[in-house]
Amino acid sequence: MNTKTIASTREAAADAILEAALKDPKVVFVSADSVKAARATKFAATLPDRLFEMGIAEQTAVAFAAGMASCGYKPFVMTYANFITMRACEQVRNYTGYTHLGVKLIGLNGGVHGGEREGVTHQSIEDLAILRAIPGMEIVVPADPGQTRKATFAMLDRPGPGYIRVGCGREPVLCAEDEPFVFDKLHVMRKTGSDAVVFAIGPVLRNVLEAAERLEREGIGITVVDLHTLKPLDSDGVKDLIATAKTVITVEDHNIIGGLGSAVAEVMAESGSGKRLTRLGLQDVFGVSGEGNALLDHFGMSAETIAETVKRALASLDS
Amino acid sequence: MNTYDPKGNVARLKGISAELRKSTLTLIHQAGDGHPGPALSIADLVTALYFGEMRVDPNNPKWEDRDRFLLSKGHACTVLYAALAKLGFFSEDLLKGFRSLGSILQGHPVMDKIPGVDMTTGTLGHGLSVGAGMAAAGRLGKKDYRVYVILGDGEINEGIVWEGAQVTANLRLSNLTAFLDLNGFQSGGTTNEVSGIDRIAVAEKFRAFGWNTIDIDGHDYDQILASIAAAKRETDRPTLVVAHTIKGKGVPFMENNNAWHKGVPTKDQLAEAIKALEAA
Repeated sequence: MNTKTIASTREAAADAILEAALKDPKVVFVSADSVKAARATKFAATLPDRLFEMGIAEQTAVAFAAGMASCGYKPFVMTYANFITMRACEQVRNYTGYTHLGVKLIGLNGGVHGGEREGVTHQSIEDLAILRAIPGMEIVVPADPGQTRKATFAMLDRPGPGYIRVGCGREPVLCAEDEPFVFDKLHVMRKTGSDAVVFAIGPVLRNVLEAAERLEREGIGITVVDLHTLKPLDSDGVKDLIATAKTVITVEDHNIIGGLGSAVAEVMAESGSGKRLTRLGLQDVFGVSGEGNALLDHFGMSAETIAETVKRALASLDS
Repeated sequence: MNTYDPKGNVARLKGISAELRKSTLTLIHQAGDGHPGPALSIADLVTALYFGEMRVDPNNPKWEDRDRFLLSKGHACTVLYAALAKLGFFSEDLLKGFRSLGSILQGHPVMDKIPGVDMTTGTLGHGLSVGAGMAAAGRLGKKDYRVYVILGDGEINEGIVWEGAQVTANLRLSNLTAFLDLNGFQSGGTTNEVSGIDRIAVAEKFRAFGWNTIDIDGHDYDQILASIAAAKRETDRPTLVVAHTIKGKGVPFMENNNAWHKGVPTKDQLAEAIKALEAA
């Protein structure tokens, strides 16, 4: 595994959509003037009749896609995560969630890392919480570009609506090319021990993996889990890992309310695990403009902070 | 195999619309809830479409070549439910369950739950944007089905209507025809009072977006059927039929009385309404 290589989750998703569309005439792309941002220019050039341009109109993009899906098509709507999940929230709820139509939503600029220099209006830190609350909505946050490609194909095979969160286009490559992606099954990325289990999603997993290396040097073993499918959550898998760990940490480039940390907290509380949970992520604050990795550090998601958090959580067990 | 009747004659359609109006009021009375004024306003448009024009098959509600209908003003659904029941999409016995627990007939239309309902609606403003997706799907799949949308005049306050108007015209979806139920009222009063909708300017706005527009009396079957036929002759632009209508049409004490936007007729009022509809 080479954690230094950078690639694009956006491009991976767009290329997967084109690949799927070349095989399946029902696959179409709905754009909200997002062809360039979505890295879908190849799709536009190759299958112009299957690309539907709405202009900058996200609500209509989702509604239009629902109309196409009701006629047997498999539409992807790919634009900024904030505009899919907030501007078009009602359309997502009523016309894809309530109708159970197979509209696939791909949200760009997930988290502060994904929206980085654009700032708060273009950084999506509530998308997961919003979509988790919609009945039947399936949500995947792939770890890296290779996993994004596989997640896109996996989502296409699902009958109902789904959402894949991607980033700015410069994401770390964290998984080997032949690493499988199994929808709704958590993925243990590294296991150096069971002192702590760390659940994380998306590009911030790089920092978690680095934290694992640091901790290992200090004799602390952790389990790094890519909990890519946030809904439906692999509750049994989560419970099993919690049972064998001394403490539990979640790391998400999202508000700590409503996303990964909340999902894990729900499983822990309902299963009576009795373990302590520490949630890293945006502590109910908005982001700021900056370089993506610097923002992760700034908001308490650096490898160093993650490692320190694990150590503090373990120390608190002894006190 | 289906109820497609290209020669829908006016007397027959008038008789059907009276039945649909009676069903509408009866099921609102039974449910103790509903929107009679908005439903009566579009009863003739719905009758002309479902009993005089549209290609549908009650035995095969998901037939992929069927014409599609979107009741964008979903709160007027009682007349749609009455039409679908009369066509045989589901038993007329089910009408009395409207808006009650356990009934398939939800407060607003729901696809999948209700046979014959092509799209879930109720949150205002979505007919054009969703309908454009259906029309684009038809064109891509080389299907000759058409998409019909009924919009309310108050409904066009919603911003997404204008997104939909732009996209439908920009994609040159001539296989979509929208009816604007221009009855001059919305929930809070007249459209002019509440939102400044001018009855003439509305057609101009759609023309400016690139639409073909036709003005008709929305209760005159010759005009309704002629507008549908004219829209079908368009080859590169969608058509908006501006249907001048009367809210509460057919029941004298409900006509142009916005108290009946949402309301429930008493037993006596229901009897009076039915008497008026049968006498007409």
